[in-house]
Amino acid sequence: MNTPLFVIYGVLLLGFTGVAEYQGWSWSRVNQQKVLPKSIRDNPGAYRSSYGGYSRYIGGK
Amino acid sequence: MAVVQAKSISCPNCGGPVTLRGFAHTLSVVCPQCMTVLDASTPEVQILQKFEGKTQTKPTIPLGTRGKLGDTQYEVIGFQVRQVSDGDDAYSWDEYLLFNPYKGYRYFTEYNGHWNFVEVESALPEQSRSAGKLAMRYEGKTYLAFDSMTTSTVYVLGEFPWQVHVGDSASCQDFIAPPFMLSSESTSGETTWSRAEYMTGAQVWQAFKLPGSPPPAYGIFANQPSPHGGSVGSSWQTWLWLNVALAGLVFLFMFLSPGRVAFSDHYAYSQSVKTDSAFVTPTFQLDGRNSNVELSIHTDLDNNWAYFNFALINDQTGQTFDFAREVSYYHDSDGSEGGRNNSVIVPSVPSGQYYLRVEPEMAAGSPYVRYELELRRNVPNYGFFGLAALLLLIPPVWATFRRGSFEAARWRESDYAPSMSSSSSGGDD
Amino acid sequence: MNSPAANCPSCGAPVKFLWSSAVQTTCEFCHSILIRTDVDLKKVGEVADLPPDASPLQIGSEGAYQNKSFVVVGRIIYEYEQGGWNEWHIVYNDGTSGWLADAQLEYDLSWAIPPPAPLPGPNEIRQGQDFQWNGKSFHVTSRTHAHYKGVQGELPFEYWDKSDLLFADLRSTTSDFATIDYSENPPLLFLGRSVEFDELHLKNLREFEGWT
Repeated sequence: MNTPLFVIYGVLLLGFTGVAEYQGWSWSRVNQQKVLPKSIRDNPGAYRSSYGGYSRYIGGK
Repeated sequence: MAVVQAKSISCPNCGGPVTLRGFAHTLSVVCPQCMTVLDASTPEVQILQKFEGKTQTKPTIPLGTRGKLGDTQYEVIGFQVRQVSDGDDAYSWDEYLLFNPYKGYRYFTEYNGHWNFVEVESALPEQSRSAGKLAMRYEGKTYLAFDSMTTSTVYVLGEFPWQVHVGDSASCQDFIAPPFMLSSESTSGETTWSRAEYMTGAQVWQAFKLPGSPPPAYGIFANQPSPHGGSVGSSWQTWLWLNVALAGLVFLFMFLSPGRVAFSDHYAYSQSVKTDSAFVTPTFQLDGRNSNVELSIHTDLDNNWAYFNFALINDQTGQTFDFAREVSYYHDSDGSEGGRNNSVIVPSVPSGQYYLRVEPEMAAGSPYVRYELELRRNVPNYGFFGLAALLLLIPPVWATFRRGSFEAARWRESDYAPSMSSSSSGGDD
Repeated sequence: MNSPAANCPSCGAPVKFLWSSAVQTTCEFCHSILIRTDVDLKKVGEVADLPPDASPLQIGSEGAYQNKSFVVVGRIIYEYEQGGWNEWHIVYNDGTSGWLADAQLEYDLSWAIPPPAPLPGPNEIRQGQDFQWNGKSFHVTSRTHAHYKGVQGELPFEYWDKSDLLFADLRSTTSDFATIDYSENPPLLFLGRSVEFDELHLKNLREFEGWT
């Protein structure tokens, strides 16, 4: 492997990692919603999570 | 002072003219007209061997061509084709005799478009072993045994400073230290050592200013230098330094992302309680830059699962981060599966006043679960560092693999495969 | 180093010695072999016409090895079953003499030395045998039966037509060279080195047609 090419690749990779860490990125699936009505605080049950009902266990065993 | 004249003799077989480019050194010469090998050692030229072949071979570099190698000019004065037959394998290569009246004789060998510049050596190599394999040490380099064979001369043209015959046989052994090759040639007890340096056809064509293009090179030759050789070592060195930088980055973010606990509390949830399980936490402050938030869940689950819906809500702007996590833990006498704890990193959360909405779920009939929620502001995401370390490995691993496959191709042609004990005859697969 | 000139007793041509310790020489013009006595030169024989050879060296060629300069003053032409070689007699600037062998343009320098230990006889010397001289390990690489084809110029001894000579050549892993000369009893030992043309800084060489 051409070492100068590798150095550039490595520096870019580390730079990108640094940016990701600084910005606090994550792989997690998180949905964002803007502006929820204030009433949620008083009535948390009224809020419909985008993850919806999960009434059965899907994993093993 | 008289200048030594080039001689020309008359062929006793066909009467044609024969030029002697090697002056009085030439002991045998092939008549270019009738192909008879003549003894030129005495003024009365004798016939050594009549031509028994069917076709004439034209050497790729014509006799009489001159070229410069280093700072010495050489003239091609002789040509022979040598052959090896090892059972089913038969292959042959070309040899050119190069001459300079002061510096002496050198050789070119050519096989499948691969060239070598050969010089006879007067110092003796020392037998040695390298990693358990037969080798020779010569002038500070270790040459690994590559092959051994019996060669025979099948075609001759031009002049030689010895009595040449079609059918001459010799035992040869080759040892390699790319781009060099050490070869021994033994006839009737006496052994001559020579050292070859690999040359490309392009280099030969340039040195001898030959027209057209050189014959293309096929396969990989014994002492052909690896195009990947040196850079593999340096790429691993680069990899090391990049990992040092990565470690530095990790330490930097352990300092820049202290993971201060913004909120923590413990709860209990029972599936049997019929009211809505959703609740909200008190508000808490998330400060600093747009960094992440890590929510950890610690439970006392035992052979059960629980599913938690979360929403991280900005009290002032209403911006909401919606996510969920399942925790499951099962164990019996065989082992265990899952874990009592889980966590999630919420990305790029702007600073502000927030609260958490939590809605747990469990299977019907489950006993109640106690759990603790801990929310940390600005943690290092070790997953990214792990991924970076993995991606950094790709270039040096690929380079090592490429070099490995080049060397494997090289050693496939050898009698002594370096990693196996079996031997196969040289030549093609 | 030059001695006063003398005249050839056979043809009267002037004979000049390049080396003060020369024992014999040849007359350039009539090819008589001349021996030096205290008083004058004595003709003892004639050399037949020398065979044509293509060595770039000639009598009068100069060179230097490891900062010691030398002049080529004579030679012996040997012939053997597979060809021949030249053994050039060279004299260094300190008056000592040595040999420069030229075999198909492969050059070996050597000097006569008293053998450090008794040498094996002509029937005992074998290829592959090892000897330790001057702290170096020598291996016998060849045994050659040869005879004189001719002599030319100044030589340090009084014979010119030896036949049925046995030589054993030895080499080392560090380019050292040695020869055991069985033409005398006890055999003579010459130690030296194999050298490249460029190492000798040779001057006054022969010219070859088509090679400037």
